[in-house]
Amino acid sequence: MKLTRTFVLKTLRLLTMVSACAALTSHADDYADISQLLQANKFSEALAKVDSQLVTKPADPQFRFLKGVIQRNMGKPAEAISTFTKLTEDYPELPEPYNNLAVLYASQSQYDKARSALEMAIRTNPSYATAHENLGDVYARLASRAYNKALQLDNGNTAVPPKLALIRELFKPNLANPRPVVTAAASTTPMPVAAPATPSAPTTAPVKPVSAAAAPAMPQTKTVPAPVPATVPVNASKAVEAAVMAWAKAWSAKDMASYLAAYSPEFDPAGQQSRAAWEQVRTARITGKSRISVTLSDLQVKLTGETAVASFKQAYKADALSVSSRKTLNMHRNGDRWLITKESTGR
Amino acid sequence: MNSTAFACALCLLLGAVQTQAKVKNKKTKPALTASQTQQNGAAEARLIAIYRLIGKGDTRTALKQAEQLLKTNPSFALAQLTYADLLSAQARPLQAFGDAPPDQRILGHDTLADLRSESLLRLKALRERPDAGTLPSEFLKLAAHNKHAIAIDASLARLYLFENRANGPVLVADYYISLGKLGIDKRVEGDQRTPLGVYFITSQLDPKTLKDFYGSGALPINYPNVLDIKRGKTGGGIWLHGTPPGQFSRAPLASNGCLVLANPDLLSIVRQVEIRTTPVLISKKLKWVPAASLKPSTHEFTSQLHAWLKAKSSGNLTNLATFYAPDFNHNGKSLSDWLPTLQHEVSTWQGKSLEIKDLSLLRWVDTHETMVVTFGEVARGQRSGQTRRQYWSREGTQWKIFYESVAS
Repeated sequence: MKLTRTFVLKTLRLLTMVSACAALTSHADDYADISQLLQANKFSEALAKVDSQLVTKPADPQFRFLKGVIQRNMGKPAEAISTFTKLTEDYPELPEPYNNLAVLYASQSQYDKARSALEMAIRTNPSYATAHENLGDVYARLASRAYNKALQLDNGNTAVPPKLALIRELFKPNLANPRPVVTAAASTTPMPVAAPATPSAPTTAPVKPVSAAAAPAMPQTKTVPAPVPATVPVNASKAVEAAVMAWAKAWSAKDMASYLAAYSPEFDPAGQQSRAAWEQVRTARITGKSRISVTLSDLQVKLTGETAVASFKQAYKADALSVSSRKTLNMHRNGDRWLITKESTGR
Repeated sequence: MNSTAFACALCLLLGAVQTQAKVKNKKTKPALTASQTQQNGAAEARLIAIYRLIGKGDTRTALKQAEQLLKTNPSFALAQLTYADLLSAQARPLQAFGDAPPDQRILGHDTLADLRSESLLRLKALRERPDAGTLPSEFLKLAAHNKHAIAIDASLARLYLFENRANGPVLVADYYISLGKLGIDKRVEGDQRTPLGVYFITSQLDPKTLKDFYGSGALPINYPNVLDIKRGKTGGGIWLHGTPPGQFSRAPLASNGCLVLANPDLLSIVRQVEIRTTPVLISKKLKWVPAASLKPSTHEFTSQLHAWLKAKSSGNLTNLATFYAPDFNHNGKSLSDWLPTLQHEVSTWQGKSLEIKDLSLLRWVDTHETMVVTFGEVARGQRSGQTRRQYWSREGTQWKIFYESVAS
């Protein structure tokens, strides 16, 4: 264990800059000064400067972030954890605070917490999450091939190539991004350093593109077996719960018709995808797995008239992958059914 | 964390390696030097280095090194399995060493069990290394012309190669080795077992004349030996040989009784050892003892040997006959058939005293105690004589000869 801990400390890297925010700030000079003090290990001076900045700009994510880094370097992990945790609450779309939380948790051997924090960091950007999941699939296939060689098995018998999800659209800076902008200072949404899927990707990447023709016919016209009891106005929150459970069940069963039908026509896919592109990605992702299991726990429903917010803990297992996360579904009533209008991970 | 889980899955194995390293330090014995590691199966040493990295949780470096190891040894299945685990660990937590997905685990069930067992045995042999200055208790005395000696420990699937230097045999290399499918203690032809006993390499077979199956060459041994024949054991064709193409090493229990080494390991042995004079001891479990502790047994036996020599020199046939066992057998000749030969020999000496040169004593203990004795028998004043081999058996406090032969 001792050896393992040393390793984690060595390899989990603390980020010292919120890169996406740093470039375009109006107070770049103050920020750079403090960074320099930090690099020179002048932590007390750096802390004093950060604190004075935070007097006038108490919400500023960069200075708060720097403060967390300084606290960590001054050997105050509990304070640093508190600083980064609050940052993740106020700016859940920034990956860097989650990463640093993971570093701190790992240094305390709290690997489960470190793992959740890193998963959240990845989930701040749908492209990262997709790339991460694709990478997991590719590693699993490489492993499968190596097991075949090791166990002298015929290569043919397990070789269903993985269906990796293609990212259809570049994640754009916030010019047209309807997502709430963090602050005036943090004026860009973090953009992937290398765009995971450029338009040329289908010809070069070993990714199986989802062809447009393969888009599943939406069974809108057919009557989908209603997953929700039709008339229970008495206890609407029970109906929401039932709808959520039916959605998870359809996902586990890879029943794409029921799964897609659980989403409202007003559903807004993450990352500015069109509804059709999103459906293709989901279909490829879900039907590409040989086994899926989605189990929910800790389900809570907040009802406000015709809309509801369901939040729960989701344990997702697919083939070799196993991810546990918190999820929130925003839903609205559509006739006698409750449909998903927004799906988000985290808080 | 994936790396932690993987490290835990391997902790048993790695605990083993690390313990061994500690013991080394305590006794201030030098750890294996780079050149020794090179000699002792370079691929295995690299695999162990990867295990150590996994133990430290450094799966990234381990993955890189596994990739490199497979570039030079693509057919090393155990390395391939470790590589597969390292790749899996990137995607999911591992539960065990060789954590293949269910379908592959079922299809490759037997191979997986073999690889796990190979891994454990390789690590066990590294953990239970003999102390410096110790020898298998069977090697009572090697003659100067026994340039090398080989000892095999079946319980560790390990072959130890000794070089006989001026101040005694020194362990110079050791290798993983595969034995018979049904294990050890061969008795009858076709029983797929490896014999136990003291043997000699009888010849060297040119790999060009052999099927690919035997790899880089073959060194046959003299199974069944005189003791085996006395006990009615049958079969033959027990060789040390290499592995077929596409298979770096074989499972611990894989052959029809032969002793199988990785091709580079076998080649290294072929290049060093001489035929006829290299003993091959095959033991269920080697007992390592300090070289000096073998002296009393050696003295006890050599005093009997010299008594025999004195009787022979004196020419008293009746006295000489008492050194031979009632069940003496020389290629079918009983003692009464053999006595005229002795009589003839004695008469040619005409009272000249005899000397023993280049004595080698190999002891074999199972239900009985046997001594395989080889020496040059030279009349005083002569430069050369005959090479004599005798098999002696202990009967109470007395040793009796139950076989002897003379080679020029």
